[in-house]
Amino acid sequence: MQRLWRFNQRVGKWRAMRVIQQALTVVYPFILIMTLISAIGQSCLAPNGFFFHIYHIGQWLPGLTLWRQAFQVMGLVVNNVVAVMMTFATGYFLAKTYRRNELAVGLLSALAFLTLNVNYEVIDQAKRGGSQFVENNLGPQGIFLGIVVGLVVGWFASWFLQKLAHWRWFTRLTLTGRVAWLLVIIMAVMVLVGYGMSWLTTGGLNGLVYQATRAMITNPGHHGVMILAVTALNNFLWWLGLIGPVNLAGNATVNSLQNLATAVQQGSAWNVPHPVTLHTLGDAYANFGGAGMTLALLIAIWIGSTRAHDRHIAVQTALPNLVNLNQATLLGLPVLYNPILLIPFVVAPAVNIVLAWCAITWKLVPPMVYPMPQTTPGPLMAYLGTAGDWRALLLSLVCLTVSVLIYLPFVKLLNQLPEPAEEEEGEDHAA
Amino acid sequence: MRRKFIGWGLAIVAVLAIFFPSMAWMQTRITHYKTNYRTPLNPTILVPGSSASQDRFDALIKQLRQETKTAHSVLKVKVATNGKLSYTGSIRRNDNHPFIVVAFANNRDGYTNINQQARWLNVAFKDLVKTYHFNHFNALGHSNGGLILSLFLEKYFDQSPTVTIDRLMTIATPYNMESDSTTTRTAMLNELVAGRHKLPKKLTVYSVAGTENYSSDGTVPANSVSQGKYIFQNQVAHYTQITVTGDDTTHSDLPQNKQIVLLIRQYLLQETLPAKDRAVNQSRFTQSQAGEPEEP
Repeated sequence: MQRLWRFNQRVGKWRAMRVIQQALTVVYPFILIMTLISAIGQSCLAPNGFFFHIYHIGQWLPGLTLWRQAFQVMGLVVNNVVAVMMTFATGYFLAKTYRRNELAVGLLSALAFLTLNVNYEVIDQAKRGGSQFVENNLGPQGIFLGIVVGLVVGWFASWFLQKLAHWRWFTRLTLTGRVAWLLVIIMAVMVLVGYGMSWLTTGGLNGLVYQATRAMITNPGHHGVMILAVTALNNFLWWLGLIGPVNLAGNATVNSLQNLATAVQQGSAWNVPHPVTLHTLGDAYANFGGAGMTLALLIAIWIGSTRAHDRHIAVQTALPNLVNLNQATLLGLPVLYNPILLIPFVVAPAVNIVLAWCAITWKLVPPMVYPMPQTTPGPLMAYLGTAGDWRALLLSLVCLTVSVLIYLPFVKLLNQLPEPAEEEEGEDHAA
Repeated sequence: MRRKFIGWGLAIVAVLAIFFPSMAWMQTRITHYKTNYRTPLNPTILVPGSSASQDRFDALIKQLRQETKTAHSVLKVKVATNGKLSYTGSIRRNDNHPFIVVAFANNRDGYTNINQQARWLNVAFKDLVKTYHFNHFNALGHSNGGLILSLFLEKYFDQSPTVTIDRLMTIATPYNMESDSTTTRTAMLNELVAGRHKLPKKLTVYSVAGTENYSSDGTVPANSVSQGKYIFQNQVAHYTQITVTGDDTTHSDLPQNKQIVLLIRQYLLQETLPAKDRAVNQSRFTQSQAGEPEEP
């Protein structure tokens, strides 16, 4: 533990790490609001939302379509630019550490990120229609790439400005001229990269990253070890900000459909053809609150944390976590790029998968067969998905407890950290 | 301390407020799954007419394979006179729309034989359902095969309560046997009309007739085919009669007739036909619209 702590302190001193943490702090409120909106939208208003079903919201809420549209619009606005904001903030804070013109560098980073995600198919005159940017990549999915671009461009721009500061021709230029030249160079590079990428994939650079990871880890079949490895890798990628290469909440695979078919025809979930799949293990028992069992993290914070910052975030993100939307927790705490929390973030779901795997293969619990909405609260997922088998509920609670216990020592370790400085204060000091 | 109690109280209330409604919802949801569940496997059962073997539809299936991208697998069942089944071919894994041809060792024509064949079809059908666990299917009957299917649906289908039939297409099926009359009914038609109330209410029926001249396809009188209306009309959800003329419209050519293959694809298999194929069918039925621009 002490070693981990020292490692954390050392990593925390890295410039990139500090910059990422700062950027995440700035972006967090936006993500929080976005997640709250989509939590309500997806669980209470969407036709496959959990609360929508159990409280029969469609039957008594007047103007349902209007509500849906309103929430959709509000969700869209933030959701579609969150990675751009992250890129901007990363570039901004990095330039600030180099004492360069941080606003200009931040904007440059954001522009560079957008350039990488231009939808080249639309530029192609033959194919009309579609949006001008690959919108998917500008949302939470693009956070990892946003951070990378922010760091690279931020570093390059700072270096460029510094390097040329002594060059006579350059010093004659005004700030406008310098930034303009920089922009030209960065744009040229990014367009080249982006255009090159468009030959390989239609989803932008981000699409390429996702394609690669997906190809690596799709379809783990029904081998427990494979499922374990895939989930662990998936959680690690989430920790890096590569949100959702594998959709764990997959009801629609052939295996799940065959399970459902058998269960419906036999009237019980015991003798299905594929008792062990990513869905019956990962979805049902290792995804409470989303990837990494973040619901357990929140409970561990309530129990063991003395940091006001962590406790605030736990309260603020409780509702989204209840319906398995944990992006706000990941960015706010932050879990992302936090070496201490990486361990439980990967280990807790893995332990749960092993528990569920044993329980299912030893026929202690039936596997989950009925498709459930993705917004079903984690601990209820298996119980409802097995048509109300109390053993599944018991196993869910055991899994939750075990995860809380796994998270607890790490949360307590975080207590030693100082409270993060409020950003606005820092600004005042700088000025 | 007090705040902590309130917090715990709220948490417990929240858990209960989620738990009990979700249980109630789960019950309705599972009942819904059990009643409305449709298996991905959705076979098409083909029954040949009299004097034809289980290979009767080979030409049709070959043509369908050529025209559609998906190669449907074929399972052939032959029912012996003692009800014993012999299978040839197989349903390929992951093929959810296979063809199952059911043929009979005794494939002779005539009222008693056809009734017998309907009973044999039931034997084969129950075995198929037991083996492959499908709970809905489509059916295609050529000539007397349509009679066998209709009799099966009226007399034996209620023995398989878990299974529903979506669409039935009969090609040149003589509902009034070989009679050309529109007034006198043969025993077969009488039986079918008498039992029509037992036909599935949600069934969609297409009855295709071919005609070489104005009255017959060379074997089956057009009038006999159209007598099917007394069986299906107002009994099933939809009953559509289609007459095909032109090349290859003699009775035994009909299953591989180009137009009928298209009809099978469009109506029975519910494929989305390419525009040029759709146009062939549309111009045939709606001559008046031929000059109008095609729908996008």
